Amino acid sequence: MLRYSIRRLLQSVVTVFIVITLVFLLMRLLPEEGYFGDSYDKLTPEQREAILRKFGLLDPWYIQLRNFYSSLLKGDLGTSIIYRRDVPVIDIIKIKIPFSVSFGLAAIGVSLLFGLSMGIHMARNKGRFWDQIWSAYVVFINAVPAAVYLLFIQLYVTGLKYRGRPIFPMLFDRYNPRSWILPLISMSLGSIAGYAMWMRRYMVDQLNQDYIRLARAKGMSDKQIMVKHVMRNAFVPMAQYLPTSVLLTISGSIYIESLYSIPGMGGLLVDVIQRQDNPLVQALVLIYSSLGIWGLFLGDVLMAIFDPRIRLERREGAR
Amino acid sequence: MTHKEQQVIQAMEDEALFTFAEYDPEAAERVGYSDYSYWGSTLKIFLKNKTAIFLLCLMGALILFTTIQPYLPNQKSPIKIHTDPATGYPLRNRPPSDEFWFGTNVIGQDLWARLWSGTRTSLLIAIIVGIWEVCFGIFIGAVWGYVRQIDAFMTEAYNVINNIPTTILLMLLAYILRPSFKTMVIAMCCTGWLGMARFVRNQIVIIRDREYNLASRCLGTPTYRIITKNLLPYLVSVIVMRIALSIPGTIGWEVFLTYIGLGLPIDTPSLGNLLNEGRQVMMAPALRYQLVFPAVVLSVITISFYVLGNAFADASDPRNHY
Amino acid sequence: MTEPILSVRDLVVKFSLRGQILTAIRGASLDLYPAETVAIVGESGSGKSVFTKTWLGMLDANGWVDSGSILLEGKDLARYRTEREWLTIRGKKIAMVFQDPMTALNPLRTVGMQIQEVLELHHGMRGEEAKARTIEILGEVGIDMPEARYDQYPHEFSGGMRQRVVIAIAVACNPKILICDEPTTALDVTIQAQILELIRSLQKKLGVTLVYITHDLGVVANVADRVAVMYAGEIIEYGTVEEIFYDPRHPYTWALLSSLPQLGVKGQPLYSIAGTPPNLFTEINGDAFAPRNPKALKIDYVKRPPFFQVSPTHSAKTWLLDPRAPKVEPPETIKALQAKYEGYAQ
Repeated sequence: MLRYSIRRLLQSVVTVFIVITLVFLLMRLLPEEGYFGDSYDKLTPEQREAILRKFGLLDPWYIQLRNFYSSLLKGDLGTSIIYRRDVPVIDIIKIKIPFSVSFGLAAIGVSLLFGLSMGIHMARNKGRFWDQIWSAYVVFINAVPAAVYLLFIQLYVTGLKYRGRPIFPMLFDRYNPRSWILPLISMSLGSIAGYAMWMRRYMVDQLNQDYIRLARAKGMSDKQIMVKHVMRNAFVPMAQYLPTSVLLTISGSIYIESLYSIPGMGGLLVDVIQRQDNPLVQALVLIYSSLGIWGLFLGDVLMAIFDPRIRLERREGAR
Repeated sequence: MTHKEQQVIQAMEDEALFTFAEYDPEAAERVGYSDYSYWGSTLKIFLKNKTAIFLLCLMGALILFTTIQPYLPNQKSPIKIHTDPATGYPLRNRPPSDEFWFGTNVIGQDLWARLWSGTRTSLLIAIIVGIWEVCFGIFIGAVWGYVRQIDAFMTEAYNVINNIPTTILLMLLAYILRPSFKTMVIAMCCTGWLGMARFVRNQIVIIRDREYNLASRCLGTPTYRIITKNLLPYLVSVIVMRIALSIPGTIGWEVFLTYIGLGLPIDTPSLGNLLNEGRQVMMAPALRYQLVFPAVVLSVITISFYVLGNAFADASDPRNHY
Repeated sequence: MTEPILSVRDLVVKFSLRGQILTAIRGASLDLYPAETVAIVGESGSGKSVFTKTWLGMLDANGWVDSGSILLEGKDLARYRTEREWLTIRGKKIAMVFQDPMTALNPLRTVGMQIQEVLELHHGMRGEEAKARTIEILGEVGIDMPEARYDQYPHEFSGGMRQRVVIAIAVACNPKILICDEPTTALDVTIQAQILELIRSLQKKLGVTLVYITHDLGVVANVADRVAVMYAGEIIEYGTVEEIFYDPRHPYTWALLSSLPQLGVKGQPLYSIAGTPPNLFTEINGDAFAPRNPKALKIDYVKRPPFFQVSPTHSAKTWLLDPRAPKVEPPETIKALQAKYEGYAQ
């Protein structure tokens, strides 16, 4: 088990390394204007060049890469240019991270809860009324771009009134728990659909397996089989779905945070892209890229915990 | 004993009954005949799905309409700013009326014309990207699967590329290349082909190693026939399905990028742009129509293609055939 | 004459398949007696598995018992509808060993757990007591080092060992009737013999009634006391194993035995039954085997034959046994078998 985890860890580190380098090189293609902010037009070519040199942007790419990694290891992600002039990126991001992370984790929890239940309900009522209702939900969420339904949710749900006053506030307020509900649920909608479909498919597949039939022949009731065999087996491939969940939450958070004005990293990203603050864009992109990879690593380790076949044998091939 | 049986037996003499019947070996074999045709069954099952047929007609009509809409009488230009002849001021934010069927937007442009123009643009992007995804994806996948030597390298490369969130990649590409129609198409083409390539590669690997293909080879079936009879039917159905499913996906990404500010330039109407414009005025209930119309059209298109894609996938799955 | 413990009469089982009705079992009857071994033989698709599944209520969701009765200890199982009713039968009274040991076990749980579940379920054992008994059973089915094996997972066992585990599960249930659905088809020939021997010894010890489902006549000759021959959803002949092998009466049984490669004559083409089994979606008039039977009578196409008794233990559903029928000699190969038997009997 330990050997497997270490192997996966090293693989992830290598992948992260490759991805970061790739992203870094891509970022070199960013338009120059992003480094000057509003003052672009006011500067002479010489002044521009001086500034670029200060950032080390005129050095050959391999030197830039080396500098980048040495600063990275020191914890320096650069300095913001436009968003908050001359403030280290780290400081800006530090404040935002707690919001995004806590929302993200909470959203994953909520989607697991609702999504799995929905999937089980669908499998149990396969072909009947509830299966079709939930399927319609899943189709809707999968087909329609999140921007659309999230918008409408914010628009119409916040219009609901109870005794003349709106139930859900429009904007996020750190101190008002009721304002957390709507953004949280909105963020989970996509993952709920994902988990539900996956769970339904899985259960329908499993229930046709031979070992389930043997369990029934042994004299176990359907409920016992569900709990002792199906559920436990379900966790293995579910762990594989976890990283996708993480990624979905990331993209979801970008919408949600700006819709509800949550001061997290997603909202920041939207902002700095529009304002063309290159160092911040770069830093955020790096963070998001690595998140996905770590999610994958976590998923693999979780799978190994639950499936003895994985840790005792080698697994090859593309995921 | 049924009455019929009784009659038949009474009609015959015992003697006659207990004589040997004519033995026809052909008759015994006749049971096994099967006139199964893959495409026939696929079509039959698809046609049974009334929802799918309805949506197919709907989408067909929609695409037809968006193509011919500019040529219909009384259509206005999507970018022209209409002014009130009496006052000379632009006809801003007018609700739907006889003259402007979907009303006007904040600078006085006809929403009806803009909506259909935007639909054209978004659909165009989606279709181009879909076709590219399929062509390029199949090509890469085929090479990947066929040439064993590069399989290991490609698999590693795939893992790395797959690990970069599409969100990030798209944003980066759009940011670097500066938003435009071409950028959109290029960016989404860069990210979409991977899934298709992976799938085709798996299929090719299967084609080499599956027992029924080995059996075909043992029987002397030439490779091209294995490809056309075993692989191609499945592949064609997958292609159609993937194009159908990629359309809502591409439109979704377009909306996403527009939302962040990396979408098409404002003067080019697209569903994403229209949605954004509508969002800016949505707080005023009277102006909500500017959001609702694009949202409805968008939802109808995406849901239709998604359902169609899935319906076709179900119909072409041989396990559902009979 | 002892009383049968299971008595099936005129069972009709139908399936709903893509809008059409398939009659898989068309009036099958069989009696099972205590502590005997019955083999049900027939081609693929004759309905052998479906037949036995009805005794456990394990039909697929699109199947049902249309008519007939299954009497076990005075209760008619064909009437059972709820899960609770079936839970009194499954495992407790009737247990089953499946064909494919590779997929019959849950890959993510230990072997010990899967056996112990049964003990906890049916015999109310718990904890240490259950574990000890499980290890004991593992030893009884011939698994080495049972204490160590208890904690292992199915993929750490070979095919033959896994089948032993499945048998262990059945033994743990301690049923009255044990159905073995082609238990050795998926195994090597060498392992086959071991497994058959294991099952036989367990039967002697526990006194269960064994029902073997197989298409392998060699296995039948080895293990069975009685044989029931199934064709197109009916039992068309049954009798003791000697009667069936050396004095078969139904033309299908003749054809089946003739197809044994062991009976082939060197230099001559091997015998095979012409044609294919009938389409069970349509209604069949008369004898189902008639179209493939060169010696069929006209009445075979009109009316289904009833059982004709050959001896108190041997009956066959064929008009050839009717006194009005012409005398028909069994084919050469069967006569050769008969001669061999008489040779041994001397």
